[in-house]
Amino acid sequence: MDGINYVYFFMFFMGIFLVNLFIILHKKNQYRLFDSPKVTKIYSVSFLVPAYNEEGNLENTVKAIIDIDYPENKKEIIIINDGSKDSTLKIAKKLEKKHSNIIVLDKKNSGKADSLNKGIEIAKGELLAVVDADSYPKRDALMKMIGHFDDNKTGAVTSRVLVKNKTNLLCRYQILDYSIIAWTRKLLDFVDSVYVTNGPLSVYRTDYVRKIGGFDPKNVTEDIEITWHLLSKGYQTRMSYSAIVHTNVPTSLKEWIKQRVRWNLGGIQTLVKYWRDMFKKRAFGFFVVPYVALSFILAVLGFILLLRYLWIKGASKVYSLFFVQNGFKYLKYINLDISFTVLLFFGITFFILAIVHYKMGFKSSEAGNKSILNILSYTLIYRPLYIIPLLLSFYKMLTGDIRWYTK
Amino acid sequence: MVHQIEKRKFLVFLESFTLTVLIFLLGIFLGLFFEMYRVQSISDNYANYEIQSLDLKLQNYYYQIMDKNSCESAIEQNFIFADDLYKDGLRIEKYEEAEQLTKNIITEKKRYVLLKTELWLNSIILKEKCGNPFNTVVYFYSNNPDLTTDAQQDIISNILGEVKKNAGDKVVLLPIAGDIGLGIVDLQVRNYDINSFPAVLINENEVLYGVHDADEISGYLN
Repeated sequence: MDGINYVYFFMFFMGIFLVNLFIILHKKNQYRLFDSPKVTKIYSVSFLVPAYNEEGNLENTVKAIIDIDYPENKKEIIIINDGSKDSTLKIAKKLEKKHSNIIVLDKKNSGKADSLNKGIEIAKGELLAVVDADSYPKRDALMKMIGHFDDNKTGAVTSRVLVKNKTNLLCRYQILDYSIIAWTRKLLDFVDSVYVTNGPLSVYRTDYVRKIGGFDPKNVTEDIEITWHLLSKGYQTRMSYSAIVHTNVPTSLKEWIKQRVRWNLGGIQTLVKYWRDMFKKRAFGFFVVPYVALSFILAVLGFILLLRYLWIKGASKVYSLFFVQNGFKYLKYINLDISFTVLLFFGITFFILAIVHYKMGFKSSEAGNKSILNILSYTLIYRPLYIIPLLLSFYKMLTGDIRWYTK
Repeated sequence: MVHQIEKRKFLVFLESFTLTVLIFLLGIFLGLFFEMYRVQSISDNYANYEIQSLDLKLQNYYYQIMDKNSCESAIEQNFIFADDLYKDGLRIEKYEEAEQLTKNIITEKKRYVLLKTELWLNSIILKEKCGNPFNTVVYFYSNNPDLTTDAQQDIISNILGEVKKNAGDKVVLLPIAGDIGLGIVDLQVRNYDINSFPAVLINENEVLYGVHDADEISGYLN
């Protein structure tokens, strides 16, 4: 057996293991997905809304926060204007005048993490609720989340993000994508492995965040970094599947790539920062760190192996054309007479399990019961696009080109 | 109690791992089963061909000793055998393309290469005996080609297939892996001064390297 086959075996083994893990987790916990702990204490909450050039969204976001079902005397809203060039500050000031529990901070542009840290300095709440300025929490979202904080170990609780703008095909694919992201994150909650507390709506225990020094301004995805930081210190992170926040997603491929490059870069940065915790600290060290590292490795490895396969199968055929003028006449074209091979078996098994996995994920979310065609289209058209931002991220990481993200 | 709950929560990793190992064992079992089946079917055919080959060899002895007028029948038998062997050779090539867990197919391939070499030698004797009524086209190819060679071989094997199709029972086509590590093949390669693969040897006389189209190759035939 060729050495390369061991690489294929490793890739399929890990891929099948992870898909099996999610399927089993779902089977065991499908009736508990939407559960949230009973609320026994109403904590005081400081909403932090960092805003950079958000004149089109800020007012509606703040309105959604005001409308959240929570006692007025227990919530304050801190809007941090991050040196916006549009009328964001003007809108924020207008809102501050109108509502007594709104505070506006104005600062030079220094990035989201630094803006949040400025907010944390003046926050009075026991909990911090971070809300992106283009996101809209549902009225009952906070009440579905705060019960988790009755457990002293809980450092953060995140929510389920749904797509607000459903304008084109890319947005519709992202509805499916966000469904899978939220569903898998909830499943990971059952094994203490929520490794991202998303930007649109996540709640943190103020004391713990202050203790670890707040958000890391050097990281392009401060939400991933702070989650790993909390986990590495032994705190728990949770996800409330029934707490919903709507957000605007990229509407063009260019914007989508830019967003995903940022996610990947942040993921790699965080991985580099915490890789020493691998196999050291319970679920974090034994699962989260290896899982995220593996996700990157499998994606890149899978792409390289696919290219290798296409090269071996196709390159010599194309190259043949150069040898004879009427080369096409002598080409064998694609041979559909496929022999049974072990790798073919693993490939088909992995593909079928992935389809079952997606089907379960969609069914348990807003995407609903999708047809096999929809799932195939998501799997074969949208998912392969992931490789573009991933490769760009590696390129940017290697060349040190991450300035334009950190502002 | 808390410790028990914690332990149960993480059992899912063990369950998933076990399930994955089972899937892998099933895959490897099926892989070995199909591979054994293929090797067995090649091996069964080989046993028949071995008998056919011996039969042909004996017929050759017989015609040399006894009767020159029986050439037609001998040639016919030779062609039937050559065609069967050619078709089975293509099947082995296909199996060889699939990744293998064992080296059994290569061993079977070597036995086939020996059989083809024997058929070639038989054909040479038959040609001498019967006044060169047909052509032998021996295609020496590399069993471990690089990209360029693989591309060339892909074309040449198709061109030779066309030559054979056009010429019918005027050509015995014998594709032989020239670098498979067999003494008799190495001997022939040296004997005919073949210094690279792929090479096409026509009637033990003309050696063509690289790609030549079907008409050109046909021009070298008797």
